[in-house]
Amino acid sequence: MDYLDEFFNYISSVSPAKLVRVFWFFFFFEFVRFFLVDFTTVLLWKLTAVFRKQRVREGRNLFWAEKPLISIIVPGKNEGKHIFKLANSLKEQTYQNFELIVIDDGSDDETRTICNSLKKNGLIDIFLSNDVRGGKASAANLGLRYSSGKYIIHMDADCSYDRDAVENIIVPFYYDEKLGAVGGDVQVRNYRESLCASLQAIEYTDTISIGRISQSQLGIYRIISGAFGAFKKDALDSVGGWDIGPGLDGDITVKVRKMGYEIHFEPTAICQTNVPVTFKALIKQRLRWDKSLIRFRLRKHRDVFYPNESFRISNFVSFVENITYSLVLNFKWYFYLIDMVLNFTSRLIFIIPMNFILYTINNYFKFIVFSLFRQRKNVKAEYFMLYMPLMALYFGYFLRLVRTYAYLQELIFRRSYEDSWNPEKSSRQAKSLKL
Amino acid sequence: MNTSTENIKVVDHKINYNNLVFYVIDTTNSILNIDHTMGYDALILDASDPEYARIVLKKIRSHYNPEFYLKPVFLLNFKETKDPLLNNMHDGLMTSYDQVVTMSETAKRIFLKTTQLDNQLIPSFEGQTVKKVLNYMYTRDIRTLKPIVDLNSSIGYTYPELSINFTNTEEPQVLEILEWADREGLIWPDFYERVYLCNNCNSGALSYREVCPHCNSSNSKSEDLVHHFPCAYIGPISDFQNNIDNSLNCPKCNKTLRHIGIDYDKPSVIHHCNNCDQNYQDAFIKSKCLSCEDDIDVKYLVPRTVNIYKLTRKGRSAATSGFLSSSQEVDDIFGTINMQTLKIMLHYELEKVKESPAQKTSIALVHLENVFELYNKIGKKGERKLLEELVAVVRENIKSSDVIAFESSSTLYLMLTNTASENAEQKLKNLSALTENLIKKNFNGFKANLLHKVKMLDTDKKAEVQLQELSKDFFA
Ligand SMILES: [Zn+2]
Ligand SMILES: [Zn+2]
Ligand SMILES: [Zn+2]
Repeated sequence: MDYLDEFFNYISSVSPAKLVRVFWFFFFFEFVRFFLVDFTTVLLWKLTAVFRKQRVREGRNLFWAEKPLISIIVPGKNEGKHIFKLANSLKEQTYQNFELIVIDDGSDDETRTICNSLKKNGLIDIFLSNDVRGGKASAANLGLRYSSGKYIIHMDADCSYDRDAVENIIVPFYYDEKLGAVGGDVQVRNYRESLCASLQAIEYTDTISIGRISQSQLGIYRIISGAFGAFKKDALDSVGGWDIGPGLDGDITVKVRKMGYEIHFEPTAICQTNVPVTFKALIKQRLRWDKSLIRFRLRKHRDVFYPNESFRISNFVSFVENITYSLVLNFKWYFYLIDMVLNFTSRLIFIIPMNFILYTINNYFKFIVFSLFRQRKNVKAEYFMLYMPLMALYFGYFLRLVRTYAYLQELIFRRSYEDSWNPEKSSRQAKSLKL
Repeated sequence: MNTSTENIKVVDHKINYNNLVFYVIDTTNSILNIDHTMGYDALILDASDPEYARIVLKKIRSHYNPEFYLKPVFLLNFKETKDPLLNNMHDGLMTSYDQVVTMSETAKRIFLKTTQLDNQLIPSFEGQTVKKVLNYMYTRDIRTLKPIVDLNSSIGYTYPELSINFTNTEEPQVLEILEWADREGLIWPDFYERVYLCNNCNSGALSYREVCPHCNSSNSKSEDLVHHFPCAYIGPISDFQNNIDNSLNCPKCNKTLRHIGIDYDKPSVIHHCNNCDQNYQDAFIKSKCLSCEDDIDVKYLVPRTVNIYKLTRKGRSAATSGFLSSSQEVDDIFGTINMQTLKIMLHYELEKVKESPAQKTSIALVHLENVFELYNKIGKKGERKLLEELVAVVRENIKSSDVIAFESSSTLYLMLTNTASENAEQKLKNLSALTENLIKKNFNGFKANLLHKVKMLDTDKKAEVQLQELSKDFFA
C-alpha cells in the first residue's frame, strides 16, 4: 500500500516537462512513430477511402474485363501434405484464370508422389522438382522461369486464402499502373494454439497489418510477405527474380522499388498462416528476419543511400525509417536504460512500472482504435484484451532482446550466411561474393 | 550292301541307295503341294534358295500326318542363316549327293525310333500338339525345348520343334501349350528370359519411348536445369548458352559459370514437348505395339516367362507309351462335373439300374472334330466361351438328373438317365445340330463337325471300363 501511495504521489507530482524527460524514449520515439504517425496516416487513409472508391471500382471492372492469366508459384521442400489442401482451396477462389505452379525443392518425403497425382487430376498445372535442394529463392525462380501469367503470386503451401484474396491482390494493379508489387494481409490462423501464438496474433494485427497500411500510405512499405505477394511478371523479370535469402521477401521488394515501381499493401487480400507456437521456434524465426535487416539494408542495398541516378527519395526515407526504428532505436533504448539507471536511480522502482503502464495504455488504445479500421478480422478483438498487458513485455523486452542479439551476431559475425535455411553450397557462394 | 558312291545318281528327283529312296526337292517342284513326297523314305531339300526351303520344310514338319512330319529331311547346299527353323528342323546337311551314304544311316535310326512310337490319339488340341512334338523329339533324340531368338516371331523367341506348327503371330499360343505340358508334368521349366507382350494382340514387337504425360507425343527435347548459386537463377541450360562459344553465362547476373558443384549445379532435367508445348519432368514410358499399333502404358503390358523346358521322365516315355491328360482347364465349366465324379456317379447309376432293370441309362461321347482350327483362331478365352455356350445349350436339352463331363476341350461325356439308346441317339442328333448352329452363329460362320457315339449302360461291366470302351469304339 505504501508503495502504491508513493507511486501515485510521484506520478502526480511530476511536471509535464519532467514526465517527458523521464519517459523520453516513449514519447519521442515509440509514441510518435507507432501511434501518432500510424494513427494519422491510417485515419487519413480511412477518410480518403471515399475518393478511392470510384478508382478501385473502375480498376476492378478493368481487371474483370481483361481477365489476365495469373501464375501462382508455391515453392517449398517437403510441403506435399499441405499442397493438396492449398490446391483444393484455390478452386474456391472467385478468380479462376490462374495456373498453379508447385516447385518441389529437393523433397525427401512423399511430396513428389502427391504432387504428381494432383497434377494428373488437374489440381496443379505445373509441377517441377529438383532432385537436390537449391534453396527457396532458386525454387521460386524456377517457377518464375516456367510461368506464363501476366502477374505472379507467391504463396506458401501451409497458408490458406480468403475466397476473394487472389482477385483483391491483383485489382490494385488495375487502378495504379505504377505498382510493381502488391502485398497481402497475413493473419494468424493458429492464434489459440499457445500464448506465444496469441501474442504474435496481436503483433500481426497491430504492427504488421496496420503498420503496413500506414507504410503503404507513406510510400515506405518495404516487405511483401512471402506468404502472399503479387508481382507484375515484367517487374520480376527485370530484377531477375529472387536472390538468395534469408530475408528474400524484403529483398525482392527493395529490388522492385529500385526499378522505379511503387509497392502497395492491400488489406482486403487476406491470407492466414500458422505462426511458431513455441518461444524457441519464434526466436529462431525472428533471429533470421532481424539478421536480414543488416544483411540487406546495410550491406546489399546500401546504394539506396547514394545519390546516383537510381536514387529515389521514397526508397531513401524507407530505409532511413527502417534503420532508425529498428536498428538505431534498438540500441538507443539501451541508452535510455542507462540514462535512467544513472540519473534516476532512486526513482527506478516507479519509472519501470510507469513505463509499463504507459505502453499498456498505448497498446490498448491503439488496438481498439485500429480494430475499428479493420474490415475483416479473423478473431473478435475482445479475445485479445486479456493478453494486452503482456504485449508491453513482448514488444519491449522479448522482441528487443532477440533483435539486439541478431544484430550483433550479423554485424560482427555475419551469421546469416551460416543459416541452414539455405543449402550450404549457396551460402558459401553468397558469402564469398558478399551478397 | 552297296556302299560305293559311283552308283549315286539322281534320276527323276530320286536317289536309290541302301534300300532307301531319297526324293530330291528343288525349285522345280511346286511348293504348294508336298503330297507327292508320300511314300519316299527321306527327302533331300535343296536349300540354295532359303526362302523356298523354308516354306517346304515348314509344310512337311507342320503336317498333321506322322508320315510327313517325322520324315527325315536333309538340306543340300545349305548356307549359314539366322532362321531357327531351317537351322534346327533338318536331319543333316549335305554338300553333295555322295553324302546320302551317311544320311542313310541317320534315316535308318529315325525309322527305328519311329516304329517304337505309340499311336495314341489324345483328345485335346494341346495334347495332340504336344504328342506330335514329343514324337519328333523322341525320333531325333532331342531332350530339351530351347527358346531361340527370332525376329520373325511375334514374341521374339521361338521353340522350333513346337513353333513350326504355328504361324509367327500364333507364337503366344506356343507359350500356352508349353504351360499346359508343364502342368501335365511332361516338361520341366528352367527360367530363361522374360518378355512383355501387347495386352491387345500378344505381340512382343514393342517400341518403347518416353512420352509427354499431357499428349502422349514422343516429340520432345530434354534439357538439364542449371542452378547458378550466387544469384539463385535457375533455368534450362539453353538459357545459359550462347552462339559464340561453349561457355555458359548466367542470364540473370551475366557471370560465367565456372565449376559444377562450386558455383552451379544441375538439380534435374526438364523435357519440353514439341507437340503441345508443355514442360514436364516425369515422362511416361509407353510402348507402341508394332503389330496392332496400340500405345500401351508399360504397366499394362503382359509379362510372360520364356523357359527352357527339359523333358521329364513322364515326358520322355510319353512318345512311346502315350500319356493320359487331365482335363483341369475344362473341369470347372459351369454345369459340368469332372471325369472323376462322372465315374463315381456312373458307379451308383449302375447299382440303381441293377435293382430296377426297367430303367435304362445311356452314356454318350461327343467329339468336336475340327474344332482346333477354330481354337487356334479364337485363343484360350474364345475356347472357354465356346465351351460354356455349348454346355448351356446341352443343359437346356437334357434332364436335370443327366450329367455332362469334359474329358478335354474337344471331347465330352454325357450320362443320360432313364433314356434308352435309341432315344439317346435321337437326342444327340438334335443336340449336335443345335451346337453346330450355335458355333456357326457365334464364330463367324465356322462349320464345326460334331461326332457322337451312344451306348447303353451295361450292368455287367464296371463304369470305368464302359467309358474306356466308348472312347475306344469312337476313336478306333
Ligand atoms: Zn505434349
Ligand atoms: Zn547468375
Ligand atoms: Zn498389339
